[in-house]
Amino acid sequence: MKAFIFLIAIVATVNVCLAQDFNKAMATAKTSYSAGKLEDAHFALQQAMQEVDLTIGKEVLKLLPPKLGAMQSTAKDDNVSSNVGFVGATIRRSYAQAKQSADIIIIDNSPLIAMTNAILNTPMLGMMSHGKDKIVKVQGYKARLEKQTGSTADKNSYELQIPLGSALFTFKVTDCTDSQILELADAIPLQQIAKLIE
Amino acid sequence: MKRTLYFSCFLIGVMFVHAASAQSLLKKLKNKVSDAVSNTADKKTDNNSTTSSSSSGKPVNKGGGGLSNTPPPDVKAQMADAESAHAAKKYSDSRYALQQALMGVEIQLGNQILKSLPTTSDGLDADMTKDVVMSTQWGWSNLSIQRVWKNKSDKQLTMTVGNAGLYAGLAAMYFTNATMVETGNAKQNFKQVKVKGNKAIIQYEDSTGYTLIVSLGQSSMIVWECINFANEQEVMNTANSFDIDGIKKMLGEK
Repeated sequence: MKAFIFLIAIVATVNVCLAQDFNKAMATAKTSYSAGKLEDAHFALQQAMQEVDLTIGKEVLKLLPPKLGAMQSTAKDDNVSSNVGFVGATIRRSYAQAKQSADIIIIDNSPLIAMTNAILNTPMLGMMSHGKDKIVKVQGYKARLEKQTGSTADKNSYELQIPLGSALFTFKVTDCTDSQILELADAIPLQQIAKLIE
Repeated sequence: MKRTLYFSCFLIGVMFVHAASAQSLLKKLKNKVSDAVSNTADKKTDNNSTTSSSSSGKPVNKGGGGLSNTPPPDVKAQMADAESAHAAKKYSDSRYALQQALMGVEIQLGNQILKSLPTTSDGLDADMTKDVVMSTQWGWSNLSIQRVWKNKSDKQLTMTVGNAGLYAGLAAMYFTNATMVETGNAKQNFKQVKVKGNKAIIQYEDSTGYTLIVSLGQSSMIVWECINFANEQEVMNTANSFDIDGIKKMLGEK
């Protein structure tokens, strides 16, 4: 019980800190803009956007299930990073159980979005694949499922790539079949995540 | 950590491929702004122009009202929206409002820079109808500013100022990569020079004339495209007549 209360206190503190950083950046932006210091206002707005990206990332992590199949999430590997420039926030969670593991990576403004969408929506490109990938649907979203070479002949890893607006959702699972990864993917609330990051 | 490293290596690899061609770099920046100029010019032409009929039987558009120009985002209003959305935990809306505010600031910055540019340069007059300030705040690029000076004898100077982090970084890599310098040939097509102490690349092609690219600080660049200029010295003299330090200061570059 004490540990639970302590954890809640930490989460609340982090959330307050994030809000303060955002409020501070906005205050700087407003002051600079009113003073005609456009470049300073620009920088402060970028800082504020980074803070929002971090907050969104943490909210997305809350939506991700703590457990996928028999695999448990490893909290110490949870990661949210925000970038200013051409790539947006990166959100990551890992799961593991015995010899099987899974990774969820969400990259906002991903440079791979255009290519992935082209493959999903261009039949010719799909036909030119090397036979190890196929187009599937996960919760109504078109996705690209790729079989990756496993460590032994009878064990394979799979990777699922799902464009969600301007973000790319990548789900990798080791030691599984294609139906197993799709079953695990169905447990992830993609629609709620898409709403948060769009 | 490994995945982050692989992803960074992938991005760096992409950058090196792009850095191998100054023409590719310039073309991207040119195309960006040229598209904006074409769209601006199209809005100003007579919309009643006739077009040839289609052989497929499908009706051909012969005119229309075009699109109305929307004013740039109201920065103060967008900042207020961003704050209230953030307080209401509508983070997606807050992010969108911040993007709009950033665009608004960039357009104002761009207009300031445009106002600071001279109305005449090397005996050429500015064609204000081709002035462009464009901000996309969309992933890979943000602010671009363009002005064209010309005379009646087909001599033209186009200056583009870009605050595009990706291209400026690539240009800087080009400057520091010794294998990218072309020397010792009977006819050099490009070489490194300096414009008011800033590293630059100058290129010449018979079909396009002179192109001078200056990297400014960490994320900005200026490109001068000079058509029917007599020689390299004239191009350098023209570039040196601009207030580059002033532009750097407005863009927040050191």
